[in-house]
Amino acid sequence: MYEFTTLGWLKHVIFHPIEGFEDLRWKKKGSLGLSFFIVFLLFVAMVVDRQLKGFAFNTAYVKVFNVVPLIVQSFVYFFVWVIGNWAVCTLFDGEGTLKKICIYSAYAIVPYIFGVYLSTFISNFLVLDEAIWVNFISYLGLGWSVVLMIQAMKAVHQYSFTKTLVSIGGTLIAMLLILFLAVLLLSLFQQVYVFIYSLYTEIAYRIRG
Amino acid sequence: MLKRLIGIATAVATISSMAVTAFADEPYETYSYDNWQDPIPSQAGYMVEKTWTGHDLGLDELSNPESEFFISNNENPNLNGACDIYVEDTTRTIWIADTENHRILSFNENFELKGCYKSIDGAGVKNFNAPKGLFVEVNAEGDTILYVADTENSRGVRLKITGPLTCELQQEFLKPDSQAYSAEAFTPSKVSADKEGNVYLIATSVNTGALRYDKNGEFKGFFGANRVEQTAEVIARKVWRIFASEEQLEAMVSTVPTEFHNFDMDQDGFIFTVTESANASTDAVKKLNPAGVNIWNNAKGNTYQFGDFAWGYDESVAKSTKLTDVVVGENEVFNLLDYETGRVFQYDKNADLLFVFGTRSTPSEQEGSFTAPNAVETLGDKIYVIDGIKNDVTVFVETVFGKYVHAASILNVEGKYTEAKPIWEEVIRRDGGYTMAHIALGKAALNAGEYKLAMEYFETAYDQENYDKAYEYYRDEFLRANFEIIVIGLFVLIVLILVYGKLKKKKIIAPISAYIAVGFMKIKESLKKKPKKEEE
Repeated sequence: MYEFTTLGWLKHVIFHPIEGFEDLRWKKKGSLGLSFFIVFLLFVAMVVDRQLKGFAFNTAYVKVFNVVPLIVQSFVYFFVWVIGNWAVCTLFDGEGTLKKICIYSAYAIVPYIFGVYLSTFISNFLVLDEAIWVNFISYLGLGWSVVLMIQAMKAVHQYSFTKTLVSIGGTLIAMLLILFLAVLLLSLFQQVYVFIYSLYTEIAYRIRG
Repeated sequence: MLKRLIGIATAVATISSMAVTAFADEPYETYSYDNWQDPIPSQAGYMVEKTWTGHDLGLDELSNPESEFFISNNENPNLNGACDIYVEDTTRTIWIADTENHRILSFNENFELKGCYKSIDGAGVKNFNAPKGLFVEVNAEGDTILYVADTENSRGVRLKITGPLTCELQQEFLKPDSQAYSAEAFTPSKVSADKEGNVYLIATSVNTGALRYDKNGEFKGFFGANRVEQTAEVIARKVWRIFASEEQLEAMVSTVPTEFHNFDMDQDGFIFTVTESANASTDAVKKLNPAGVNIWNNAKGNTYQFGDFAWGYDESVAKSTKLTDVVVGENEVFNLLDYETGRVFQYDKNADLLFVFGTRSTPSEQEGSFTAPNAVETLGDKIYVIDGIKNDVTVFVETVFGKYVHAASILNVEGKYTEAKPIWEEVIRRDGGYTMAHIALGKAALNAGEYKLAMEYFETAYDQENYDKAYEYYRDEFLRANFEIIVIGLFVLIVLILVYGKLKKKKIIAPISAYIAVGFMKIKESLKKKPKKEEE
C-alpha cells in the first residue's frame, strides 16, 4: 500500500497529521525540489499578502514596496529554521538529516501558505464586518501547519512528543542566535567596507595630489 | 450669465491673489497630512497680510503730550514681551497684554489705538505688574468688562472700562484660602470667564487644573486637570512602588500630570485646553464640556491627534511640539499655536486638519516667522499671532484657496456633502493632494448612489473605512443586478462537480491531481535533461 505520486504524498501527509510523516519516512519518500518550490510559494504568498489584499484589509504601507523584508520573512526564516533544527537535533540524538528536515518542514507549512492565499483572495470580496472569515482562514492554516510541523519534527527525528516540543523551543533559540550573529557579521563587514573605502579614497587623493 | 460672472470674479480674485503671493512668498512650507500621516505639500490657506510693530500700532502716542492717550514722557513706544492677545467679537476690538511694559492695550480691528490701561481705580495695589493674560466681554448693559491675570501681583482682576486710560475695579480674585490649594506661590498666567460670570485662572505650576471662582471672587475648586502621561518611566515607577519600603516611597518623586498652559471657550461653553509640555501626547489638546469632562478622549477609542506627526519639513527644527495657545473661531474652526516650530495648525469642528502655516525665525527672519509666538487669536478671516521677542503682531489673512476650503468644510461638518461637492471640486483643481476634499467628494458620491466613483475617491485618499462602506453598497448592488447569473453559475458548477465525481468513481477519467502530477513530472524531467545536454 501507499504508492503515491510526489504530489500524492504531499496530500497524504497534509490530510493525515498523525501518521502521514511516519509513512513518508517509512517509504523514504519526499522531494527536495518540491520543498524548494513550496518555499518559493511561501515567498510569493508574502508578496501577495502585502500587495493584493483587499483594499480595506491591507494594513501595509503600500506607498513603498521593499522586497527585502519579504525575502527575510520567507526564505531566510525557513532556512534558518532548517539549519537551527538540524544543529540542535544532531546534538540530541535526532535521526533527521538536513535534507529530510528541509523536506518535512516544507511539507508542513503548506496549509499555512494555502491559508494566506485563500484569505487574501476572499478579502477582496468581503467587507470589514466580515473580517472574521479572513482571520478564521489564516488562523486555521497557521494552526494546521503548527500541528503538522510538530508531527513532522517528531517523525523525522523519531522523538517522543515532549522531546519534540523541547527541540522546537531549542530550535527557536538557535534561530535567534543565528540571526543575531548574522546581523553582527553584516555590520562588521559594513565597518570593514567603510575602512577599506576610506583607505581607497585616501590613496586616490594622494596619487592625484 | 451668472456663471460667467462668477467665473470672471474668481479669475480676477485668483490673479490678484497670485500677484500678492508672487510679491510676498511665505517663508514657510505649507503642507497637510494624508491618511498615512505623511506630510504632503499643499496650497497656502493663509498668508501674511501685515506685521505690526509698536510704531505701526501708534504706541508713540502714549509718550506724546499732545495726544489724548498721553501717559508719561518715558512710556515705551514698543511692545515688550507681550504674552496675550484677545479679540472681542461683538465690538471687534483687539486687546493686547503688553506684559513687560505692565500695561493693557486696546485697538479697533484696524489696529488704531483705542486705550491703554496701566493702573486700576479703586484697588489696593493700583498698577499692573507683568500681566500675562486677559479676557474681555461686553455685558448686558453694554459695559466693556476686562479680566486680567495680573501675574506678579498674584491676583486676577475684573475691571470695568471707564475711559481710554481709566478702568475701575469690580472684583479681585486672590490666592485661594483653601486646603485644596497646596502651592506656595500664586502666579495666574491666563484668565477666562464663562457666561455665568464664573472666572477661570490658570496658575503657573498648578497641575490640578484651572482655578474656578464665582463672580464674587470666591474659590470654587479646580476644573479639568490633565491626566498623567503613561510613559515608560511612569510605569516603571508604578512597578517599583509595589516593592518599595515606606522610607523609599517617601523619597520617591510622585508622578504628576503636566498643567495645561492655555485655554479658550467657544460659544456653547466648551473649554479648549492645550498643554505646552514638549511632545505631550496625553491630553495635549482637550475639549472640556461644562462639567470638566474631556470629549476628545482617546482612551475611549478615538484617535484625535494634534500638531506635527512627522518632520518632513524643516528638519533642522528640534523634533518637539509645544502647543502654547488655542483659539476657537467662527464655525468652531480652531487654531493651535506651536511655540517650538512657530506653526499655527487649523482644524475644523471634527478636529480634522485644514491648514498649517507659520514657521520659526531661524534661519529665515521674515514676515510670518516667529521667535517667541505667545498667543494666537482670530477674527473673521484673519489670524493674529503675537511674538514676545520680536515684539510685533503678525496678521494672517485667508487666501482664495483657504476661502474655498473653509466654505466646503463648514458644509462638510453639517453633513451637506452634495451641496459642498462643487466647492470641493474647485479645491481639488487647485490642490489635487488635499485629502479631505477627496474624502468629502467620495461621501457626496456615496450619497448620490455612485458607489464605484465613491470607492475611487476613497482609494485616492486612502480612507479604508469609508471605502469599505462604499464597497459594501457596491457589492450589494452588484449581487442584486446579477443574481440570476450567479445562481445559474453555482448550479452548473455543482452539477459539474457531481458529474466529475461519478466519472471518477467509474474510472472513466483520472482525478485532477493526477493531471497535475503528470505535469509536474514533465517539468522535472525537462529540468533534468538540460544539464545532461551540457555534459554531452
